[in-house]
Amino acid sequence: MALLSGKNGAHRLGPMQTLPGPMKTWPENEPVDYCVVGVGSAGGVLLQRLARAGFRVVGLEAGPFWDTEKDWVSDEKGSYELYWNDLRITGGTNPLALGENNSGKGVGGGSVHWAAFTPRFHPSDFRIYTEDGVGVDWPMSYWDLKPWYELLEREIPVAGPAWFPWGDPHGHPYGPHPLGGVGDVLVRGCSKLGIRTVAGGPVAILSASHGDRPHCIYRGFCLQGCKVGAKASTLITHVPDAIVHGAEIRAHAMAARINLRNDGRVDGVVYFDCDGKEHFQRARAVIVSGYAIETPRLLFNSACPGHSHGLANSSGTLGKYLMAQAGNVVAGRFEDLIRLYKAPPAHALSEEFYETDPQRGFARGFAIQTVGPLPIAFAKQMVAAMGAWGWGMRRVMMDYNHWATLGVLGEILPWEDNRVELADEKDRHGLPVAKVTFNLHDNDKKLIEFGKNKVMEVMWAAGAQQVVQESRFAHLVGASRMGKDPSTSVVDKFGRTHDIPNLFVCDGSIFPTQGSANPGLTIQALAARTADYLIGQGDPIFFSSRRDQHEPQIRYDLSPPFTRFKGNPRIA
Amino acid sequence: MSKRSLPTSATGGEIRDLRQPGYYPRYSTLGQKKAWDETTRHVVTGRVGDTPPVRFFSREEAEVLQAIIDHVLPQDDRSEERTIPILPVIDERLFKNELNGFRYEDMPPDRDAYRLAIKAIDVMARERFDASFPALTVHRQELILKSLHDGEPDPAHPIWKTMPVHRFWALLMEDCVTAYYAHPWAWDEIGFGGPAYPRGYMRLENGLPEPWETEEERYEWNAPVDSLSEIEPEGAPPEHGSLHGHGGTH
Repeated sequence: MALLSGKNGAHRLGPMQTLPGPMKTWPENEPVDYCVVGVGSAGGVLLQRLARAGFRVVGLEAGPFWDTEKDWVSDEKGSYELYWNDLRITGGTNPLALGENNSGKGVGGGSVHWAAFTPRFHPSDFRIYTEDGVGVDWPMSYWDLKPWYELLEREIPVAGPAWFPWGDPHGHPYGPHPLGGVGDVLVRGCSKLGIRTVAGGPVAILSASHGDRPHCIYRGFCLQGCKVGAKASTLITHVPDAIVHGAEIRAHAMAARINLRNDGRVDGVVYFDCDGKEHFQRARAVIVSGYAIETPRLLFNSACPGHSHGLANSSGTLGKYLMAQAGNVVAGRFEDLIRLYKAPPAHALSEEFYETDPQRGFARGFAIQTVGPLPIAFAKQMVAAMGAWGWGMRRVMMDYNHWATLGVLGEILPWEDNRVELADEKDRHGLPVAKVTFNLHDNDKKLIEFGKNKVMEVMWAAGAQQVVQESRFAHLVGASRMGKDPSTSVVDKFGRTHDIPNLFVCDGSIFPTQGSANPGLTIQALAARTADYLIGQGDPIFFSSRRDQHEPQIRYDLSPPFTRFKGNPRIA
Repeated sequence: MSKRSLPTSATGGEIRDLRQPGYYPRYSTLGQKKAWDETTRHVVTGRVGDTPPVRFFSREEAEVLQAIIDHVLPQDDRSEERTIPILPVIDERLFKNELNGFRYEDMPPDRDAYRLAIKAIDVMARERFDASFPALTVHRQELILKSLHDGEPDPAHPIWKTMPVHRFWALLMEDCVTAYYAHPWAWDEIGFGGPAYPRGYMRLENGLPEPWETEEERYEWNAPVDSLSEIEPEGAPPEHGSLHGHGGTH
């Protein structure tokens, strides 16, 4: 297939890359092998691997297919369209803010607006029930996933220190970024207290150019979509290669329900196009990659006779065990100027408090990370953290350049009452919208209190004259969790639903627990592993109900271009 | 501005009719627009040039809301022609019914929330001070707004029994700061670098300015004597879980 590069009017993916074309189109009435619902962090990786392995694949994406030059701006308010802004209902004793806080829409999904911190989970994260008697163990270990962590760190690729001391110590393929003002505050404060830090990563942001992607220019607009193409999103890392290898991405395609045949297998997805016209894409297998809210919503909306509580929900756990991480922001005002808008928001961290410490009186822990709110986000934080309004708001904002902000990223445990359900309200297609309920439990509250106070201590130690904090939550995972036991989980360790042999879930919603690491890298590593499993299973998975639980062979030959010759350093 | 309530400089004298408040007097983000990419330039300059018409609120509602906005985000120090439009931006969002991705289960839809709150605030004004909200003195207007800010509406009004006052306050504040701090004149005021593609930044540490940025020039100033909106040491509101739309961090 020819590339359109250099032609005027080409679909741009960053300043150098163009969308390969023409894109293959698969007819709706002939079944493709895999129909993937949601082209985000997981969907992009799945489509790319499966297409390279020769499968016929279609990705349905509810949002637009971004042209980064025409659609994205270096502007906070102007980036409104990147988020899932459609109605959802949020409640419980600690309701989660949704929308721009944690929900993307459009090709690339959340990886378009993530800050791109890419720490791995620790080995302990996969077995917190065994180690601490809380939550649940994963049906797999860190060591099962490790080869795909390393693979994705090379594919994206990740920049960071050559030595990352926590969890399973490891290095990063690209060198660390220079330190910004906020990172300097984190390192300074932590060092005063004897807390180890790393700086300049790990982030999925280029510190040197990579194929047709330039390196970072430190403009600080990571969360608004990286026009530079330095920050990884599957839109620019995996989707172009998927298209080169025959994948079709259908944008503005809102999945309505998955169709179940009489023989108990699914045969395709009903969706609405941008004009509201209904379509049916036939497929030999369906993979749902809609993230922690839209995935359970679609499965609930696909309820049918024999599955009246939603597809793949014989366990009754669909929608339950939703998790968000504690994301308190601690802001400190300094005598000297910081200018926190420069450099990527994500660029320094400490995982010194990640593991359980019995002295602290609660299970599990948290990370300390830099954050870099632009003026609107910062003003909102001042509403919450200081009760700022009127002249007080004008005054504190005139000091914007004197403030630095650090984030707590704390593990909240999976609880049955934290869940996604269907609300009475409907969207423009008549589909019931999601209702999200979130409550903090005792361990969570203790962890947040400790984490918040520790980060405030770091801020004081860094020399702040005033320290305030805002309680909030970051990220969303769970709600279609994986497990060995079909009576307490929705999918197995490869994302295959326990109930329907050719229906899969692959995204953050399958996490049984979440650690204190940003979920993006783990979502992508799991997606690559699931793809390699499916590739290894071959055609029988489309008609057989046999469940092979052996670890798959990793396919190093299926990476996108420019991955070869990259390494994962390790300085012991 | 419906009513003037002027801050004063520490050396005495009212601060008024400023072309550019803040501590970066010669700094202009718009002066850098040639260094921006075309799409961003279009979006940001459009924000300055085109103020959307008021279509959602009635004239009476708009009058009350404008009087509210004049205190929750006052601009009396700014000159008339450098006032940043806020009400038209909120009106446009509600007219187009643009959501922020969610609604709290204990809140009505945003459109209803505004209409109900505007009506309630005007009734509160009549009950407490015998006049419509826009007709009150600045101090009396702020007494009512401060009671909402504090989560203790004075006088009580039945609407706050069905719509949590702290959620409405957060919704109002967030809409106001979104309109104000999206404007390049506000970026000039606070010394924010503004759009930065394709040029980027080269001085990341120690708060150093880029060649086109300027050094801070601080001065002391006081809020107007009749104002209640300075930050208090115990000003942090009680925690209600995350407030409206807490995006933009991590």
